[in-house]
Amino acid sequence: MVDPTLSAAATASLEAAINKALHYDPATRLRCQALAGKSLAIEIAFAGKKIPLCCHFEDDGIGISANVDDPTTCLRGSLPGLLMLATSDGVNLSEANVEAWGNTALLADIKQIAGDLDLDWEEAINDWLGDVAGHQLAEQARRQFRWLRDRGQSGKRLLSEFLTEELRAIPTATELKGFSDQVDNLRLASDRLLARFERLRAASNKDASSSNPTPPGHNA
Amino acid sequence: MSEKKTTHFGFQEVPVEEKAGRVADVFHSVAAKYDLMNDLMSGGIHRLWKRFTIELSGVRRGHKVLDIAGGTGDLSYKFSKLVGPEGLVVLADINESMLRVGRDRLTDRGVAGNLVVSQADAQFLPFPDNTFDCITIAFGLRNVTDKDLALRSMLRVLKPGGRLLVLEFSKPQSELLTKAYDTYSFKLLPFMGKLVTNDADSYAYLAESIRMHPDQETLKTMMVDAGFANCEFHNMTGGIVALHKGTKP
Repeated sequence: MVDPTLSAAATASLEAAINKALHYDPATRLRCQALAGKSLAIEIAFAGKKIPLCCHFEDDGIGISANVDDPTTCLRGSLPGLLMLATSDGVNLSEANVEAWGNTALLADIKQIAGDLDLDWEEAINDWLGDVAGHQLAEQARRQFRWLRDRGQSGKRLLSEFLTEELRAIPTATELKGFSDQVDNLRLASDRLLARFERLRAASNKDASSSNPTPPGHNA
Repeated sequence: MSEKKTTHFGFQEVPVEEKAGRVADVFHSVAAKYDLMNDLMSGGIHRLWKRFTIELSGVRRGHKVLDIAGGTGDLSYKFSKLVGPEGLVVLADINESMLRVGRDRLTDRGVAGNLVVSQADAQFLPFPDNTFDCITIAFGLRNVTDKDLALRSMLRVLKPGGRLLVLEFSKPQSELLTKAYDTYSFKLLPFMGKLVTNDADSYAYLAESIRMHPDQETLKTMMVDAGFANCEFHNMTGGIVALHKGTKP
């Protein structure tokens, strides 16, 4: 078992980082305040161990602890599953292989708050470098980020076209959809055929039993 | 002829009625620089020990919490945030100087409304039966003259199902750590006390009182004998400090 001093140090650092980040997003901080008194417990299965983590919403921020005590909502799952649930839109609990119990409305609130998170990271840089230098650095970072995002998007599109149109190594999305529809139709047709076959066999068995009645006095 | 009852004050044996006064003198002497010395002596780790205590307290909104020997109010500050405006935190200490420092500090930090300050002896707590959801005593029990009496008094004022958390120095779990810890506490600690507060004796008493305090298993047995249920302890930093937890049945 980990010495509680170490786990307390880890949760204290995580808590400080989260609350520092919330400092740069006052709107999210206010929305978290509205959840004061509620808590979310997460049991993370990682490398064969279960790591408990509890997130308490308080009036002046978020508290993190490694001890779970009567939480409002509980989540249990693997680290990749929990990350998938946290970061991907439209992923449900069963897809992420995550169990949840307690008040699930809190989960929806947290997911919505996390989705709307908008940290003013320029303000964080300004705190370190001052307004002028901080703004210049933030502008540079924004330009680089935009350039990388554009290159990333166009690169993805070009690669996709090269693989589907030039190399014909993989089907296009339309072809894949057509194929998928055909498979669906085939499956439906086979299901219908199977149902018809079962019906005919049942009728045939019934006919056979009515034309060969058991002779009187003959006990099986 | 009846023999005079004695108890330990550090490594000395003193008459029972003298111990409280002597302990009071120690804390009158260190009160002003108590927090600074705590940070220096523990390298700031005492904050992690207290943090773990709060984690295990299970205190929630609306709870009533008694912080005995609360001193400069580290635990009370956090509890006042946890219980919210509908809860109550009582910061209690037998020592007026410590209480004054704690009260001023909490007022400066804007804690008001759900916190009251009470000068109280842990052996004779001046509260009705079944009052508190949680009682904590951090680094205070070893200074109490009659620990069994104090534990029974705490049991009385706890609500059924309420928790007692005793955070106290204890017995290191490895020989190597014990040797290093002895050297540190008997040589370096009084020197630091002399340097910062010009009071080596008080910090020599601190080291001695830690050695005289019951070890983990003994304190657990004392809690069971006082009437607490589900008693358990968690060693921290190799057993230098232990957190004992018990529930009122």
